[in-house]
Amino acid sequence: MSANMYPTERMIVEAVATILCFVIVRFMAKPYKLTREGSYLGLPLGFAFLGISNALAALAYSPLGFDPKLMWLPQLTRTFAFVFLAVTYLFSNRKSKSSKLLGETTISLLIIAVAISFLLAFVAPQFAFEGYSQANVYLRIFNVICLAYIAIYTLRSHVKNLDPTTLWVPFGFIFLAIGQYTLLFWYIDSSFSAFVGSLVTTFVGLAIFLFVSYRTFYSSDKERG
Amino acid sequence: MKIYGDLLSALRSEFNEKERVVLTHIQVRINVPFDRLKSYITELRELGFIEDETSLKLTEKGKQYLREYEKILDFMKRMGLTYQ
Repeated sequence: MSANMYPTERMIVEAVATILCFVIVRFMAKPYKLTREGSYLGLPLGFAFLGISNALAALAYSPLGFDPKLMWLPQLTRTFAFVFLAVTYLFSNRKSKSSKLLGETTISLLIIAVAISFLLAFVAPQFAFEGYSQANVYLRIFNVICLAYIAIYTLRSHVKNLDPTTLWVPFGFIFLAIGQYTLLFWYIDSSFSAFVGSLVTTFVGLAIFLFVSYRTFYSSDKERG
Repeated sequence: MKIYGDLLSALRSEFNEKERVVLTHIQVRINVPFDRLKSYITELRELGFIEDETSLKLTEKGKQYLREYEKILDFMKRMGLTYQ
């Protein structure tokens, strides 16, 4: 099965992606830290889940490894990450109490995500393992749909207020979506180029988020206009 | 709280435009009831963001908070998120 190919390379890549994700989380958490607004929790939680997913995958491919029956865990966590991000964008432009609603939705999703992971990991691990192969494909398709929605949303947001600073993020999500899409090909036909392509596009996507965050929080006031 | 950032931003804009701050103008800018505006101003003073409740001048801490708050708004805009 292609999912078990190139374990060393995957372990390294997943470990680097974990570090990148948590650096991004550090930036994404700033709005919540300053304002304590629940609506600002979606982005850091989304990227935190993505980081956890990468960390679990790195662990899975490392010599330490973990029970193959738990191989579905990184994939499910990654899907939770994209759901958090999609929900954040979905509710962000809703009028009337949207901020409170988004905060409550985020917390509810967090509880559901933890409960499902716990149930599948400890109560019915066999169920998750048996359905993993099929679920893997469907979850990746679902991930691509979530990311495509966010990419379209952010592109529309950019078109409404044409500003060069808002152009980067849609491309970040597009690259993440392409990364998931090419991983799907890799899973199906074990193509090496699909494997490398998915790594490159995922890293480019994460690098864009890092660049946007860094530019916002560390660029000088003069640069910011 | 997000409202602190909005309120500090409104106060600074008022100071830039006029010598004295008129509370009703602030109320219109941030769209909150007057009694709640008064309580937010008290909270801003308690947090050390304004000098006192009469002059409503921003302290250095208040200006620093506002700078951080504006970075956050800019970040949210860059991320394509516009909360209403």
